Amino acid sequence: MSRPGRYTGGEFNTRAKPGARPRVVLSYPDVYEIGVSNPALQILYSQMNDTTPAAAERAYCPWPDMADLMRASGVPLWSLETMAPVAACDLWGITLPHELCSTNVLEMLDLARVPLHAAERGEGDPIVLGGGPAAANPWPLAPFFDAFFVGEVEHRLDAIVAALASPDRPGRLAALGEVPGVWLPGRSEGPAERQVFMGFSASPPVLRPVVPVLEAVHDRAVVEVMRGCTAGCRFCQAGMWYRPVRERPVDLVVDAADRLLDETGCDEVSLLSLSSCDYSGVEAALKRIRALRPGLRVSLPSLRIDSAADSLSRFAADQRGSVTLAPEAGTQRLRDAVNKGVDETQFEEAVRATFTGGFTGLKLYFMIGLPGETDDDVRGIARMAATAARLAREIARGRARLSVSVSSYIPKPHTPYQLEPFAGAETLRHRQSLLRGLMPRGVRTSFHDVGASTVEASLARGGPGSDRLVEAAWRLGARFDGWSEWFDLRRWEEAAAACGVTLGAFDGAASWATAVDAGLTEEFLAAELARGREGVPTPDCRDGECAACGVCGSGVAMEVLG
Amino acid sequence: MSWWLVTFSRGGSARYLSHLDTARVVQRTFARAGVPVSLSQGMRPKPRISLPLPLPVGAAGLQELAVVEVPDEVRMTAEALRALRDASPPGIDVERLDAAGERHPRPQPRTAEYACVVAGDAGAMQAAVERYGNEDHAICERVSPKGKRRLDLKEYVSDITVDPVTDGARLGFTIAYRVDGAARPQEFVDLIARWAEVEPAMCGLERRRIVWDEMPPAHGAGDGRSVSS
Repeated sequence: MSRPGRYTGGEFNTRAKPGARPRVVLSYPDVYEIGVSNPALQILYSQMNDTTPAAAERAYCPWPDMADLMRASGVPLWSLETMAPVAACDLWGITLPHELCSTNVLEMLDLARVPLHAAERGEGDPIVLGGGPAAANPWPLAPFFDAFFVGEVEHRLDAIVAALASPDRPGRLAALGEVPGVWLPGRSEGPAERQVFMGFSASPPVLRPVVPVLEAVHDRAVVEVMRGCTAGCRFCQAGMWYRPVRERPVDLVVDAADRLLDETGCDEVSLLSLSSCDYSGVEAALKRIRALRPGLRVSLPSLRIDSAADSLSRFAADQRGSVTLAPEAGTQRLRDAVNKGVDETQFEEAVRATFTGGFTGLKLYFMIGLPGETDDDVRGIARMAATAARLAREIARGRARLSVSVSSYIPKPHTPYQLEPFAGAETLRHRQSLLRGLMPRGVRTSFHDVGASTVEASLARGGPGSDRLVEAAWRLGARFDGWSEWFDLRRWEEAAAACGVTLGAFDGAASWATAVDAGLTEEFLAAELARGREGVPTPDCRDGECAACGVCGSGVAMEVLG
Repeated sequence: MSWWLVTFSRGGSARYLSHLDTARVVQRTFARAGVPVSLSQGMRPKPRISLPLPLPVGAAGLQELAVVEVPDEVRMTAEALRALRDASPPGIDVERLDAAGERHPRPQPRTAEYACVVAGDAGAMQAAVERYGNEDHAICERVSPKGKRRLDLKEYVSDITVDPVTDGARLGFTIAYRVDGAARPQEFVDLIARWAEVEPAMCGLERRRIVWDEMPPAHGAGDGRSVSS
């Protein structure tokens, strides 16, 4: 068995509340090293343990070698805090980070010996509650969950915990169904409204996070400085889903960074958000954190190209190593269409600033398969890579690494492109092949697996009944589909054939709207689609003009530092 | 710079940590305790922490040693020990600090005492241990990515005890560390299990005591350069 420390807990800052009720298990359906770094689970774990009577524990998806051992020895999935069976908890909250984790959810239910289908569960079984970004379309997993929570949950945790006080399972489910944002598959009469936590700005970030004792994917203290992004990229589900923008005061951010470093022992702090350079207090926060902790490494996970040259010169002292820039598309026409407000000059300036700033690596992110894309747009990616390679040679003189990551665009619900066709495996393979032949020498280029993208596309907009595909694939052995070493397209093709569906196909119905109301109006999404087709930009609403997306109102509003 | 010898135990859930993860835990514990650690030179400075004798994954260690370099101005005090104890995660217990000068040679393991339980016929295992004592050589073959290596366990493993326990026997043995390496506990257990015709599965492996060469004189001398709980 590899890395047994994944299954034993014992991390820094874990909480133990023996005997406390309700007992809640929080899960991330991937391997420990990925899941333990997830900021959302850290928020829920801290808040539930520290501010409610509930005992929150954790369980992650066992790696296949451990799963085989557990099945062979008849040991059910346990939680890391108490080593007690997950199946004996009152509520099992599973966050759904992306569609390719779907089979892992079934794997965890099976390993825990919790009946796979909610309809088969009885009084002694936990209520299984889904949430997270992929709950934006709950249909592909609907029969496996008793309930879904849609949106941000911080201000609803008390109500969820209180709902578990009912003496029987039907009562608990009924009470849960009354909590705003909860959707009960087969029971709720309408869609659940996405919840927006308007206490975000005033509340402190997580100050006592669980710090893993194994090496995790992210080994740094995290301060969430801002939630939401209104840059308005038309392909971006997160940009649409987490609206409106809410910023935390600089005082709160600096104090949290200082305390977190003591609590975690980390030597790096990350100022987290969807676009941290857009955080109004970024300069002030950086200046004060540097003054408090000289030599501390501060990372800003997202740089926008239109301001990157400026940002890189200001933050160079903190950003050692490499820089990641995301032009997304290869031509001005397509970047305008997707509302990625970046031009060639800004791109060149950002690349120049990267290498003159002494950074030794540059990674460029592009997508292929965007709506309206042509082969010429794909050739544009190679032209931009060639520009970057030339600047690397001229400025860094061979000391810099340049890599290009090309992912496949998957149309997602609640975006202007939600009803657009998926490019399809054939087109994606053709464009990958075209790009491979055009990329300049010395540039390391990586592509997303087209098969995995096709499966993701099938699930992202899957409607009622798409759960059969997930279950069939899992029964054929699919799990850890986000891992190239485990993903096997043949399993999914076989499952699709058995279910009579075509992978990647979309029936044109916005079925997710029957379960989830993201707060975005149909008019806004249609208008954005039309503006995209005409190449008309939509400015960020925090700069002035409201784009009338429909999110604000009824107590929901942008909160930007004055 | 001076260096601190940190004596700690590793048990409970922490016994499943790898060598590198254990070193990371020591580093995190110092950072959380607010005790600074010296950094290496270069582009990517690393904390100067080493664990001179790796402990196998799954094994508990009762008297493990970490060598941590700290800036000269950091004083070894009872408060520092207390802060380290408070900052350590479950399963890691910092028991003692000893200081040594920068030029003092690093401690090298001479011998380590192990104990574990092997399920099966205790009498057969007793017989296997007696056979081990009578043989001139006990050869095992170690296969690694670097190739195969033949090892005479008799050169490394001694002081063997067998005590019957429920459904098996508790094996105790001492492994000697030489310039050319050492035997692994599993290799010795494999041999005894093969001779006793039992499953070579050990549980509850513990490293109970390590005898060190080059331990600075302050260690245990109570001369003001040591702090223990």
